[in-house]
Amino acid sequence: MQASFLRIEVLMNKKKRNCQLSAYGYITPILLIMIVFLGVSVLMSVVLSFTKYNILTPPQFNELDNYTRMLTDKKFVKALMNTLKVMVYIVPLQTVISLLVSVVIASKRNTWLGKLANIVIFIPVLSSNAVVGTVWKAILNGHIEVVEKFFAFFGINCSMLLGDADSALLTVAMVSIWKNVGYYAVLYISALINISDHYYEAAKVDGAGRISRFFYVTLPMLKPTTILVVFLGVTTSLQCFDIIYNLTGGGPAMGTTTLVFYVYDLCFKSGRAGYAMAVSNMLFLLILITVVAQRKMMRKDASEI
Amino acid sequence: MKRKSISVILCVAMVAGLAAGCGSSKDEKKDGKEILSVWIPPLDDETEKNYVPLLDKFEKENNCELDVQIIPWDTYEEKYMTAINAGEGPDVGYMYVEMFPTYIDSGAVVDMEEYLTEEDYEEYLYLDRGKMMGGTYGFPFNTGNPFIMYYNEDILESIGETAPETWEDFERICKKATKDTDGDGKIDQYGYAAGFNNGDMSPLYLLNSYYYSLLWQNGSDIYNDDLKSVRFNDEAGVEAVEYLKSLTPYMPEDYMSLAATDAFSNVFGGGHAAFACARAMQAQSESFQETYPDLHWNYVTSLKNEQYGTFGAADCLTLMSACENKELGMKLIKYMTGTEVMSEYHKEHHGAPMTKDEEYQGDEKLERTLTEDRDKWRPLQAGPCGSDILLNLVSQIQAVMSGDASAQEALDEAAEYSNDLLDEYWADKE
Repeated sequence: MQASFLRIEVLMNKKKRNCQLSAYGYITPILLIMIVFLGVSVLMSVVLSFTKYNILTPPQFNELDNYTRMLTDKKFVKALMNTLKVMVYIVPLQTVISLLVSVVIASKRNTWLGKLANIVIFIPVLSSNAVVGTVWKAILNGHIEVVEKFFAFFGINCSMLLGDADSALLTVAMVSIWKNVGYYAVLYISALINISDHYYEAAKVDGAGRISRFFYVTLPMLKPTTILVVFLGVTTSLQCFDIIYNLTGGGPAMGTTTLVFYVYDLCFKSGRAGYAMAVSNMLFLLILITVVAQRKMMRKDASEI
Repeated sequence: MKRKSISVILCVAMVAGLAAGCGSSKDEKKDGKEILSVWIPPLDDETEKNYVPLLDKFEKENNCELDVQIIPWDTYEEKYMTAINAGEGPDVGYMYVEMFPTYIDSGAVVDMEEYLTEEDYEEYLYLDRGKMMGGTYGFPFNTGNPFIMYYNEDILESIGETAPETWEDFERICKKATKDTDGDGKIDQYGYAAGFNNGDMSPLYLLNSYYYSLLWQNGSDIYNDDLKSVRFNDEAGVEAVEYLKSLTPYMPEDYMSLAATDAFSNVFGGGHAAFACARAMQAQSESFQETYPDLHWNYVTSLKNEQYGTFGAADCLTLMSACENKELGMKLIKYMTGTEVMSEYHKEHHGAPMTKDEEYQGDEKLERTLTEDRDKWRPLQAGPCGSDILLNLVSQIQAVMSGDASAQEALDEAAEYSNDLLDEYWADKE
């Protein structure tokens, strides 16, 4: 009897081992892709950031030169400031707009208008950044009477928006929000749908009005989604490139040059790939800090719930 | 079991695909024929159809196969750098002057002097413009379209002026031409249709259009002759930028957000400006005939201050060091730029003749730029750290034009940045 139990146990262990092995087999391809295209490239970027390298000739070790250069590089500082400004412009506004849009759409989700709005807000998300940049440039600089009148209503001369360093950066941020708000709104909508009606009914019984219900029920229940939206917003705004490339080309006078754009120029226009990698590692560090902070907050939030 | 086997096969196939994808794909020979890869940017809207078939004869005569790749302008440099780094670059490639220094330094391009004969120097008209950094690294392929100052004959006539010759003439006419013509209180006719947003073009296009001409006309240049430092912030250089800035009251109000190409095609083309600077190209003459048939335009190749001077690109073909059969590569370059191919190509897509035997087939009006005015334009000096220096310079000039910096401050800052780069470059050389 005991022998047969042992045999069964051995067989089960063998099956378990086989299952584990096949599981490893299944993840091997994606693991290889991750190691080759992510792990190795990050590692190479770190190693090459300590070299003088122009892509065409073998790299030469130059200690910490690239990192010390960053401290005195006015263009790096300008690009860093622009990146942080873009982030500050985008994240709060994008989060608030996507939240408000999602609340409106979720409340009308069973009407045809709600369904249509749900589709319409997602169209810019599906468009490529290159198309978005080109289209908005044509809209803003095209001297289209309707567009000019629309902006003039708010006292804005739209044809000047891309010509001034400050307004160009703000314009880039607004276009980016227009492009991405649909994505975050969809995240919020799915979270809103998952909030049980019981909470709202209980709040109603307690005499809470619409606004109170929003602030004391909806917002707290959306906290995990808000954390996700904020941190995704931070990481994507830190990497803003395509829209800028197509809308302003980084100008005028470096007014819209962000870190990613600066890295691109350094690497492919100036042939200073070693320094470009040092700058991109700084960006990587910024994003890493953001991701770690997000994970910590999400974990804390989950434990609170 | 069957399902598991299929899964395993799929996984293995994926890994194999990944490994294959990372492998080299460069064909060396096909059916015993030598393969030469050629990279060029789009020369017109349909280069594949218009230019590439003209090379068929070369393949037959030399028992080789040409792999011609048309690479879009916006990823041109990027593709070159990454491909050469991976050993997948072309045998013969098209490069513009700003690209050359990095490739010359790294030994990726060949000094073609030893492959050129006296007959070549007699036959090919612009070979001198392929000499740079102590060697002949470029074989001019697309040149002869200098940036010229177009003017609207009707506007000049209406204000009693004729074609400008000097900076003073130009400024005076700009001032007279800038006005409200329909009496609604808004300026609707401008002196100079200029735009300082690079739009779809590289930022360097702004220097080509508006800056080099003034810099050279005032007697300055980008580099000093030894290429060890820059000189664009000398007195003449500062004066040139100040002069450009002084013209802003005569430009459209949105000149900072207006693309240079749009300023030319829409503002000048639409008959709303006295002057605009753009390439001398037959295409522009034709496009005006289609879009603005009433526009009566003419041009001066260059204004004069201290001297004449305007920018004319000298985009070249170059022989890459990786080319195994350099004689064949060189033969191809000469064929691609030779009379037979170019005469045929220029029938439909007008351009400057590259050889002595090629007849000019373009707009008669523009022929002067290649004959009596040929010495009024020239290409850029090829110098170390070229792209870096010029990209920084253009952003400083944008700062001046938008009023964020004075000419002296901006140029000094650009010069300091450039000289630091050059010091480092030359220190490495020593």
